[in-house]
Amino acid sequence: MLAYYFRLGLRSLRRNPLLTALMVLTLAVGVAASVSTLTILHMMSGDPIPEKSNRLLVPRFDNGPLDGWAPGDEPSDVQMSYPDVANLLKSGQGERRTALFGIAGPLEPPRKDMPAFVADGMAPTRDFFAMFDVPFLHGQPWSEADDARAADVVVLGRAMAEKLFGDADPVGRQLRLMGTPFTVAGVVDHWNPRPRYYKLVGGNTFGDADDFFIPFTTAIRHEADNNGGMSCSSKREPGYAGLLASECTWLQFWFEARSAADRSDLQAWLDNYAGEQRKLGRFQRKVPARLYDVMEWMEELKIVGNDNKLSVWLAFGFLALCLVNTIGLLLAKFSVRASEIGVRRALGASRREIFRQFLIETGVIGLTGGVLGLVLAFGALALIGMQGKEVAAMARMDWQMLAMTFVLSVAAAVLAGLLPTWRACQVTPAIQLKSQ
Amino acid sequence: MLRMTNLSKVYRTHMIETHALRGFEIDVREGEFVTVTGPSGSGKTSFLNIAGLLEEFTSGDYILDGVNVKGLDDNARSRLRNEKLGFIFQGFNLIPDLNLFDNVDVPLRYRGFNAAERKRRIEDALAKVGLASRMKHYPAELSGGQQQRVAIARALAGSPRLLLADEPTGNLDTQMARGVMELLEEINAAGTTILMVTHDPELAVRTTRNVHIIDGQVSDLVRKGPSLVNPVATAAATA
Repeated sequence: MLAYYFRLGLRSLRRNPLLTALMVLTLAVGVAASVSTLTILHMMSGDPIPEKSNRLLVPRFDNGPLDGWAPGDEPSDVQMSYPDVANLLKSGQGERRTALFGIAGPLEPPRKDMPAFVADGMAPTRDFFAMFDVPFLHGQPWSEADDARAADVVVLGRAMAEKLFGDADPVGRQLRLMGTPFTVAGVVDHWNPRPRYYKLVGGNTFGDADDFFIPFTTAIRHEADNNGGMSCSSKREPGYAGLLASECTWLQFWFEARSAADRSDLQAWLDNYAGEQRKLGRFQRKVPARLYDVMEWMEELKIVGNDNKLSVWLAFGFLALCLVNTIGLLLAKFSVRASEIGVRRALGASRREIFRQFLIETGVIGLTGGVLGLVLAFGALALIGMQGKEVAAMARMDWQMLAMTFVLSVAAAVLAGLLPTWRACQVTPAIQLKSQ
Repeated sequence: MLRMTNLSKVYRTHMIETHALRGFEIDVREGEFVTVTGPSGSGKTSFLNIAGLLEEFTSGDYILDGVNVKGLDDNARSRLRNEKLGFIFQGFNLIPDLNLFDNVDVPLRYRGFNAAERKRRIEDALAKVGLASRMKHYPAELSGGQQQRVAIARALAGSPRLLLADEPTGNLDTQMARGVMELLEEINAAGTTILMVTHDPELAVRTTRNVHIIDGQVSDLVRKGPSLVNPVATAAATA
């Protein structure tokens, strides 16, 4: 019977074509508005690494001075000082560890016809690539020995590798970075998660992939400038050595725990570490060490702004308005079907069957609205994407949102159809049959 | 086939109670062709609606083909309506955007027959009313008489035990009406019980029995020819 009702639903689209078109359009506009805003929210707030996001953990300390602090205040800094990062790297805690900071420097291509340019990169440890499931097109990450001896090795992003070397495998080739020759250890394949959850501090959250990666220790040895934010709440000695010895916070850090259950062990170790640093006089504030997984960290840094959430609410409010209109249109459409309902009831249809038939008909209207809504949503996302490169990266519909469009449209239509369908079921067949 | 005992139907509004049927008694036997007559407002339509399980009655008993319909829920009444009854209306009541095949198909769908069985029944029913060649036509492409024949085919397709006809010739000219009436007589002759409401005294005399309703009750008067007579008085006079 469902297939029969579905065919009747398709046939009923042709009946009252103007009314049907109005309903489909009303639904489509409401669905398109909701889906396009929801798509952006979904892209911004989705779990970027669901298989291990609860095992990738960011530690956070408060190493600020007592001035201006009151008990109960939350830590203000979201990055770490070099002394803490160095201690955590040596700690052996977790399965893997990485510190990281953004760097930018002049890159001299091996090709003579290409002038030097400034490239953006990042300085993590070797563990970074395994921690964040970074895929490799050529070669592999640098070795632990490279980390230890701060070797001049580089992993290139795919776009940068193709720019410098074309389609050739550049592993083992050399290029000059920050005035020093670096050997290419590997090339990262297409990998540009958005948001760039592994480096949420320092801007470029929704930006392009990194051009290159060099070992954290190498960047420190070359005294690479931090291409990101820095917070210094106390005096520091001048020079790079002064920066490394200071309490300035400018580095980011990630642990990978062996399992989600190991988080409590790591938390205990961090609490102990913070206690020791307090005894040493480094940590003056009595603020407990914090630990965040990927989703908690994104929430803490408010990657999804309140304005994004508000726009989704507004879009759904608009969809609700569209539904109210659809209810009115469906009432009109079904009211002219009263005689058919009377006939069907006389011929053996129960109220339940009439309910099913008309609800499926509204579902067909919803599906049609979904198709049109999808087209409108693509248009809306294209318009939104024209506002900027970063926004364009978020205004992409994945298969989940594609399915969501149809589910939302059919659900909205069925919801709108409940009252008109219920009323259709209340038709008294005897009156309708006699009035013909 | 159909027995109503001391049946009443009361329509209630805030202010008024209207007794459409009161102490209504009727017994229609299998194979009969019974006409129901009576003046407007006498309760004919209420009787037919109750007989067709389209309305519930207020009190009394109604046995349809051995089933006591009192207290049945909507699903059971709908199933009974679908399996045991066929309807023919004055206004034909075909669904305008379904072709003849699909119109006749409607009650068979609710019966749950498979596609092959439905096809066979639809083709047989339309052949029986002489419209087998016009299965793909739409109701608007047919004359009134042809539309009523389709309605009869639709009523017959499910092999009902009882055919309820509400002024089936009321919207037809004399020639078409005669054709439809002859078709109904053929159907009755083939064994289907028919209960027909009509205003036409010519039709009433052609059937097995005429039940006359006045003020919601079956009258003692029965129709023999174009005028009404009291059978009791007639019998006494004859004696």
